[in-house]
Amino acid sequence: MTEHLELGNWGERIAANFLSEKKWKILEKNLRLKRGEIDIVAMDGKELVVVEVRTRTLGRILPPEATVGPQKLRKLVRSGEEYVMKNNWQGPWRIDLVAITINNDNSWDIEHITDISVGEFRS
Amino acid sequence: MSLVGGITLKGINAYKVEVEVEVTGGLFSISIVGLPDAAVKEAKERVRASLRSLGIRVRGRVAVNLAPADVPKEGALLDLPIAVGLAEKLGSLLLREEALFLGELALDGRVRGVRGAVPAALLARELKVPLFVSSENVPEVALVEGVEAYAVNDLQELIAHLRGEGVLNRVTRMDPSELEVTAEPDFSDIKGQGAAKRALEIAAAGHHNVLLIGSPGSGKTMLARALRGVLPPLSDEELTEVMLVRSTVGLSFENSRNRPFRSVHHTSSAVAVCGGGTSLRPGEITLAHRGVLFLDEFTEFRRDLLESLRQPVEDGNIVVSRSTGSVSYPSRVLLVAACNPCPCGWKGDPLEPCRCSPTEVERYQKKMSGPILDRIDLYVSVPRLSSRELLGLEGQQGEKSSQIRKRVCNARKIQQERWSPWGYSCNAELPEKLLRKEISLKSDVRTFLQGIASSLRLSGRGLSRVMRVARTIADLEGCDNVAVPHVSEALAYRETGFLS
Repeated sequence: MTEHLELGNWGERIAANFLSEKKWKILEKNLRLKRGEIDIVAMDGKELVVVEVRTRTLGRILPPEATVGPQKLRKLVRSGEEYVMKNNWQGPWRIDLVAITINNDNSWDIEHITDISVGEFRS
Repeated sequence: MSLVGGITLKGINAYKVEVEVEVTGGLFSISIVGLPDAAVKEAKERVRASLRSLGIRVRGRVAVNLAPADVPKEGALLDLPIAVGLAEKLGSLLLREEALFLGELALDGRVRGVRGAVPAALLARELKVPLFVSSENVPEVALVEGVEAYAVNDLQELIAHLRGEGVLNRVTRMDPSELEVTAEPDFSDIKGQGAAKRALEIAAAGHHNVLLIGSPGSGKTMLARALRGVLPPLSDEELTEVMLVRSTVGLSFENSRNRPFRSVHHTSSAVAVCGGGTSLRPGEITLAHRGVLFLDEFTEFRRDLLESLRQPVEDGNIVVSRSTGSVSYPSRVLLVAACNPCPCGWKGDPLEPCRCSPTEVERYQKKMSGPILDRIDLYVSVPRLSSRELLGLEGQQGEKSSQIRKRVCNARKIQQERWSPWGYSCNAELPEKLLRKEISLKSDVRTFLQGIASSLRLSGRGLSRVMRVARTIADLEGCDNVAVPHVSEALAYRETGFLS
């Protein structure tokens, strides 16, 4: 496995642990759908959450949350819709971002941003 | 049925808008239907942010319906009802009775004042429901009698009140009897110009439209401004009418019984003066309702603008029809126009020679000879005072506006009593036929008028104008019958003295 994919997998494990600690129920990991991929699907209480995980080393200057642009967001909305349809989910759902930044001394910071679409994209 | 109500404005009237909210599952989004304009559509951002500031998170797909669906909704007046409707749907509160909400939301949950608070208060009174308004609108709402209104500072306060956890301040009615009239400038501040002051007193007493003619710097504008100080104070009913109009355009309450004074620049468009536009706003003539509409540099106004003023000045209301609808605005104004006697401005001036040729003067004066001049009863010359006169009068004090106002009020009362059986309130409103029948001339006046009418070749309309003004002069003096001196003074205010 190449280095960047390994890093990604590691980040997703960290994120899943982080969410489990928050008492979220993890439903799916690394889901491949027709319209794109979803890193994690989890339940935050009664709300379904599609979680996008971004892992970066500090070598790059851009903060991880800035790497989700409008195009990626639209893709996430479409995949989320596909998942919701497939599983017949009737309640509310949202898209969250978990950003992991690896520092030079191999420690890491984790950041959780909720509801990154806030009504911006609609089908 | 939804218990949450908002309002939308049409003309100067408020109409109830029912706000229905539905929340279903899905990715968060808000859609507003029911002919919202851009400002209403943008409410979703303000509503979401302000609810979030209270810790109420909006989830899922939100649909807001504004009923009736076929009436266009405008402005930021619907922020508050949408927020309350949404909070109710999300289970943050439970409404027990119908209520009207009015206000714009800030992102942090504060409630801002909006235009239209007075019409909303009148509607709430009619529907017998409580009204919740921004604290900024309280001074206006306090004028409306018998409305159950509450002042809201922010959304949190309102929600606590609706939950029964807190109590909002109820708006107490302001007693309008404490309101006064101020005269600014006062007639006593104006030096000389005795004749012009007298003419304005007559104009105020009989609600006659006036044209002031004078050289530059002679004080036409100041006289016109002073006129509002001698007009009778607004009655309670008129006060509400004036506030209603001011509220619909978002002007604040003036806190006095002063009549409105609106000065219109000659470059103004017909829409700005008469009302209209896509969202149908009242124009200057409606803002001057029950007060003075001042047209400075009368000759410079576009012809079509003056023509469009004829009907509203005559009828006291104006119907504005546009593709978005048709509304009627009140426009009972006292028209005061001012102009120079000739293009250079110095015709008839004792010091400065006039540089205009007779043709130029004629062309200039022809510009204003139009049907609008038919609506003007008094033509008043405002001569420029020489510097010696100005200085010589330094120590002298003219009559105070308040004294003149007393006489004007008395004259108005006499007219009201006389004409109320026919439904008129002042001499200027009277139709010609009724005037001729009921003017009660002394017998010697009849012969005097006959002589003067033939020697001055007065037209029918010119004659009735003289009689109308003479009636007001007699009323100012408290005379039951019109006598010869009244008529001869009235003759001095004819247009022929200046034009031609």
